[in-house]
Amino acid sequence: MSKKLTPYLFLTPALLVIAVFVLYPIGAVVYYSFTEYNIMTPPEWVGLRNYQQLFRDDIFWQAMKHSFTYLLVTPILICLSILLAIVVNRKLPGIQIFRALFFIPVVSGSIAVGIAWRLMWDTNGIINGILLSLGALEEPIQWLAEPAYTLPIAMALTTWLGLGYYMMIFLAGLQNIPEELYDAAEIDGCNAWQKHWYVSIPGLRPQITFVAVISSLAALQVFNEIFTLTGGLGGILNSGVTMVFYLWRKAFRLNQAGMASAIAMVLLMITLAFSIFNMRFLERGTEEQ
Amino acid sequence: MTGQDQALADSRLAFLRRLFSNTMIYVILCLVAVVTIFPFVWVLFTSFKGPNDPIVSVPPQLIPLDPTVANYIRVWNQLPVWRFYLNSILVAVAIVVLNTLFSALAAYPLAKMKFRGREVIFYSLLATFIVPPVLTSIPSFILAVKVFHYYDKLVSVIFPYLVTVINIFLLRQAFKSVPDDLIDAGRIDGAGELRIWLRQAFKSVPDDLIDAGRIDGAGELRIWWSILLPIIRPSLATVAIITFVEQWNNFFWPSLMLHTDEQMTLQVGLVALQGAFLNDARGIAAGVVMTVVPMIIFFVALQQQFIRGLTGAVKG
Repeated sequence: MSKKLTPYLFLTPALLVIAVFVLYPIGAVVYYSFTEYNIMTPPEWVGLRNYQQLFRDDIFWQAMKHSFTYLLVTPILICLSILLAIVVNRKLPGIQIFRALFFIPVVSGSIAVGIAWRLMWDTNGIINGILLSLGALEEPIQWLAEPAYTLPIAMALTTWLGLGYYMMIFLAGLQNIPEELYDAAEIDGCNAWQKHWYVSIPGLRPQITFVAVISSLAALQVFNEIFTLTGGLGGILNSGVTMVFYLWRKAFRLNQAGMASAIAMVLLMITLAFSIFNMRFLERGTEEQ
Repeated sequence: MTGQDQALADSRLAFLRRLFSNTMIYVILCLVAVVTIFPFVWVLFTSFKGPNDPIVSVPPQLIPLDPTVANYIRVWNQLPVWRFYLNSILVAVAIVVLNTLFSALAAYPLAKMKFRGREVIFYSLLATFIVPPVLTSIPSFILAVKVFHYYDKLVSVIFPYLVTVINIFLLRQAFKSVPDDLIDAGRIDGAGELRIWLRQAFKSVPDDLIDAGRIDGAGELRIWWSILLPIIRPSLATVAIITFVEQWNNFFWPSLMLHTDEQMTLQVGLVALQGAFLNDARGIAAGVVMTVVPMIIFFVALQQQFIRGLTGAVKG
């Protein structure tokens, strides 16, 4: 009797926590998305109204567009971090220090760094100061008040924050590639660049898939960068509003939990579609190994 | 030209080529290092700037000429920064200890036992990966206000993180790498067999393992605690470090829950500070430095474990 129960007893605390904070919320969000709910008074069933309103909401489409635009950080991060991994994958004096240095943004937290970036990109910030004294600018640019710049600056921040992390993943991958493959490529007459193109990149395939999955899911869920750079407002003309930011605003600024739940459902569907797409990719990647 | 001259010229060329390529590497490294470090250096210098040091000027003045710690004192006096530290440490440590424990408990049967429903539980847990945390935040918020009544209390930011699925999976992987016969030896009888097994498997046998072996037919909980946890200690450390960094930097959920100064963690407090010191770049910079420095020190002290921990998850 007790023997049979043992595995379940081990699992009980974990399953309880997950049931309360993950499984129940999924069900609740599905239900809330069909209600009007201001959190104070009980939810009121409104059928599909939230979804209908949402699909007629320009800001929502704008947010969706911004979230998909944000996915551009994934290829940028992959390219830059592979290049950086190749550079640090050498036995040179002091290389360990550089590797550690590049990793610092990863641990320093997006809120503190985001706030620092906000100061730097301020109209009276150091970025304008540098550009003005280099003569690259005639007069200061209001970086964070200019809708066209909100997303690119946030994306640059995300890239800056993640580069060291992904570099380390690719570095580990590079170090697993057998030296003989490079020797063979050299014998075949490859130069340094060709060696990386024909040996390193294919050898990094599992890491590339992993990074693509992780960083694109993170990009779809970006919040902290937008929050800090726009001071919690989402930028001029909603220029920095992504799906998660819009959800947050609806739920926790405007007390529209029903509408926010509808956004959450759309986000879940997109994430799901993305994950299925990625899984396919991942499976193909591992089959080839 | 003789063969020897030719060889000499070749090796000199190779040397020059290597020198050039290494120089290029260092140039790239230094450029990236500047981009990486610049925001930190700039914030650090700004936080020590006195009233006579301009935040920005043409050309920019980086180093404070009128250095002062007044900015730190101003921040420290206006906000209970020590409370933020205390709360952050409390929350992060509580979560690291409890989460590692609960996740390790759940990981063991998933890795090493056969029971009905194992597949269902495993795949349900796996499926939760695609659920955006922001989605669960809506019902969790309502639960916090209406059911648990811990809105604006520190427990509210500990409770939801008592277990994380990723940690269960990482530890499950670690348990799987422990050989079955070792666990069986612990299950069936004690001392003799287990000790022989351990002698063969490991060069040095941890003391607690021998102790475990002394107990005849150890129970599963005993095996888990005394045999398995010591063996997977490196993985536990990995999980602990990842969890600590994540929690120290966690913002979204704490910002929804914590609203009075006394309850805030560092990240939430920093955003409050940014609001309170709206046009005081020096004060905000001081706040940023106070938030970031502990983590950077922690990272520098435990570099290798950090990097292994945070990137090691790839193979899991």
